[in-house]
Amino acid sequence: MFGFLGPNGAGKTTTIRLLLDLIRPTAGRIEIFGLDLRRASVAIRARIGYLPGDLHLYERLTPREHLRYFAALRGLDGLGEGEKLAERFELELDRPIKALSKGNRQKVGLVQAFLHRPDLLLLDEPTAGLDPLVQQTFNELLREVAAEGKTVFLSSHILSEVQRLADRVAIIREGSLELVETVETLRARAFVRVEATFSEPPPVKAFAGLSGVRELERKGSVVLLVLEGPADPLVKALARYEVLALDSHEADLEDFFLTFYRTETSDAE
Amino acid sequence: MLSSVFAKTLRDRRRAFLYWSLGLVAFIAMEVAVYPTVRDNPTFKTLGDSYPQAIKDLFSFGGQFDIVSGAGFLGIEAFSIVVPMMLIYCTVAAGANAIAGEEERGTLDLLLSLPLSRSRCLLEKLAALVAETLALGLVLWTVLVIAVPLAKMHIGVLELLAATLLALALALVFGMIALAVGAASGRRGLAIGVPAALAVATYVLNSLASLVGWLGHLQWFSPFYYYTRSDPLRTGLDLSDLLVLLAIAAVFAAAAPFLFRRRDLTTP
Repeated sequence: MFGFLGPNGAGKTTTIRLLLDLIRPTAGRIEIFGLDLRRASVAIRARIGYLPGDLHLYERLTPREHLRYFAALRGLDGLGEGEKLAERFELELDRPIKALSKGNRQKVGLVQAFLHRPDLLLLDEPTAGLDPLVQQTFNELLREVAAEGKTVFLSSHILSEVQRLADRVAIIREGSLELVETVETLRARAFVRVEATFSEPPPVKAFAGLSGVRELERKGSVVLLVLEGPADPLVKALARYEVLALDSHEADLEDFFLTFYRTETSDAE
Repeated sequence: MLSSVFAKTLRDRRRAFLYWSLGLVAFIAMEVAVYPTVRDNPTFKTLGDSYPQAIKDLFSFGGQFDIVSGAGFLGIEAFSIVVPMMLIYCTVAAGANAIAGEEERGTLDLLLSLPLSRSRCLLEKLAALVAETLALGLVLWTVLVIAVPLAKMHIGVLELLAATLLALALALVFGMIALAVGAASGRRGLAIGVPAALAVATYVLNSLASLVGWLGHLQWFSPFYYYTRSDPLRTGLDLSDLLVLLAIAAVFAAAAPFLFRRRDLTTP
């Protein structure tokens, strides 16, 4: 499972559409399954399942009709894996698509991508619009197909989403591939921003020397810091004071990337 | 009905097809109902004499300007403008929808992510366009075959077929232009606008050519020239005119996959 990360507008969708021969590179060539995409595009696409980031379905069809159409064009009988998957995602098959919610449309998009048990899945921001429960089902499904030896190419702009699923991660920024790393490497470098509010201003030194703590800042009784690695030392240190509120959020991708890049180059020096 | 792109395309057009069929039937029925009144009214006999040639050319469909005979009436009233324009409207809508419509709605990305080559996709949609046009022609011919004898218009079944075939071929020319422009640009507005403008321009060009000397040779570029040149309702099919029209349609049909294959698809 390969995570393809990048902020919005970085070129994730463009890359995926290139891989499907929907758009053509101005230079260079693409090989998938060891085949040249321009020469064997139909044979390659037979083995790919695709979920577009901006999903447009045939509004007038029902999911069943839509899936039957795509199954027929893929040379499958009936709905292929569609029936089973629809049941799993609790997708109603017989209401017109135009009457479906965004989440249900997304389910139709997901099911059609998996209809033919493809060897390669190109999923462009697949969890958009899915509620958390469905997302869980989806994650299970991804782990299953990955366990079968299929490749999942998952694009996202959310680091944690990709971290949960992928083995390797690439980061793309302004159209160029910036790094390809294993998830472990990234996870070791991942950090969160923590904001702790105390009943009274604690001494700054209380958190200064802790392992993994950076960018420490105190504004009155509020302490802001960046935490990298295990949380235990910080939690134990916080516990010595009266904490009124504790807030933490994951660094956004750009933030993470810049830090990663900075430490990477300073490591090299 | 969802086993192929061809079948799906026809299915998507079924409602439009029904409306156009009803429109054609209603129009022919109305014309035929009016005919006896025109035939029996002596003032219509000399009507053509008072019209300037330009007006007669605008409404001509081969032969003499004669609104009293069955063939003359049907040619002037139906086949000169209304029937071809209705058919052209229908083929242009279908042609523009084929690629550009689907591309603008955003479903083309998903469709072409399937193991389906662009040429194959386009050719199936093209075949659906031809099938729809032929089906519409069948409706037109059928209603003519039924209605014309009722009004004692004295036009043979084969003559009606000849006029119908010419009208279909003419409509296919503009339908294929719509398909090709849509395949090349992915823009539905353009795919409707270009053939619509060309239809009006070449129609006017053909009508004015006999009056304006220097337009004479340009007439050859107008599909309407080949459509109106013979007198099919009286003398039957002129095969060469039909073939010229089909050849023009074929040129655009052949260009379409070529233009479609080499470009980047757009997303809405």
